[in-house]
Amino acid sequence: MRETRLWSLHLLVIPIIAVLLGAHFAVMHYAPVFYGVSVEEARNFETMIERGKSVAQLVLYILLLAAALYHGLYGLRGIIRELPMTPALGKFVDTSIILLGLFIFVFGAYVTWWTFSFKIGG
Amino acid sequence: MIDKTTMPREMTFRVRRFDPDTDSAPHWNEYRLDVHDGMTVLEALHQLKAQQEPTLSWRSSCRMGVCGSCGMFINDLPMLACQTQVLHLGTDVVTIAPLPNYDNVKDLVPDLAPLIEKHAAVKPYIIYLDQIEIDEPSGEFLQTPDEREAFSQFTHCIKCGLCLAACPTVATDPLFLGPQALAQAYRYTADNRDWGMKERIEAIDIFHGPYQCHLAGACSQACPKGVDPAFGIQLLKRALVLDSIGFEKKKSSVAKVMPLADVVKAIEEFAPPPRTVGK
Repeated sequence: MRETRLWSLHLLVIPIIAVLLGAHFAVMHYAPVFYGVSVEEARNFETMIERGKSVAQLVLYILLLAAALYHGLYGLRGIIRELPMTPALGKFVDTSIILLGLFIFVFGAYVTWWTFSFKIGG
Repeated sequence: MIDKTTMPREMTFRVRRFDPDTDSAPHWNEYRLDVHDGMTVLEALHQLKAQQEPTLSWRSSCRMGVCGSCGMFINDLPMLACQTQVLHLGTDVVTIAPLPNYDNVKDLVPDLAPLIEKHAAVKPYIIYLDQIEIDEPSGEFLQTPDEREAFSQFTHCIKCGLCLAACPTVATDPLFLGPQALAQAYRYTADNRDWGMKERIEAIDIFHGPYQCHLAGACSQACPKGVDPAFGIQLLKRALVLDSIGFEKKKSSVAKVMPLADVVKAIEEFAPPPRTVGK
């Protein structure tokens, strides 16, 4: 794939990360300010499971996961690939980072889905 | 009041020496030399060679900042030796080493092969896709001053290689195409006579292309001709992004060829202005 598209995408996801990470912080870390509940209450298991049943949360968290993973791993690839290496090793780094990203994405998406489909008491 | 920085005096020159036939590693030699106002580092080297060190090697040619041969690392900055006056450096000791980020051939001679290879890789020439027009040109391509201005400064590159020597990214990533080649890629891409973006993409739209630039700007500071390659790289990024989403700049005036018959007629009709002196 053309590097221009990879680079453009890593910039395009920045506003997505800013908005969704901001929402995450508002819910998880600034609950007393935005929702009038304590941080402990916002983070307890029942509240998280209750919140996780929202379709909006499911979609937005998976989107945040994908955007943050892409942005972070693109940057990591840039740092590693700048080291002197053969083209073959460069391809190995690229493939490894794609596989790492897919693994983390699948795991993160599974956790989000698990929360969405969890039934309290059964 | 006398300006002490321009007074004739004896100065120390620390020159990095390396002979691949006899040395296993570079070493520094010190020389004392009388310098005078206006003396360039290149002149100083010529005097050192003539008076003290006949085996000292470097590369130079025009002595006036045009050929780009005498790039050296003078007082830890990449400069042209022929454009750098010794007394303007403002130091008592002048250190001279070969350009960094290149292999060292001998003494102050860098191996500029990577510069040339990267330059050639970006196809630094006008690519016109109409083969019939190339084989049998019907006329001249026209270019307005504004169209020329879009890339004018990048045509001043003399391929001295100072920008690559200054670039911190080249220092860590030798495969990075570098400011010289990328600025030249932009120079031809921005030329309204050129249709070669698609042909150049394979060489420039890669990991080691413009997106590896760290925006240090050292290349632009080092350039002895006032070119701003760092800016060229940013313009190239914009051109590539627009091209990737199908908004490449329209090349309108390339089709406006002046028929050769008109050119001949214009030459025939040309008359010099009347003389105003020496009648």
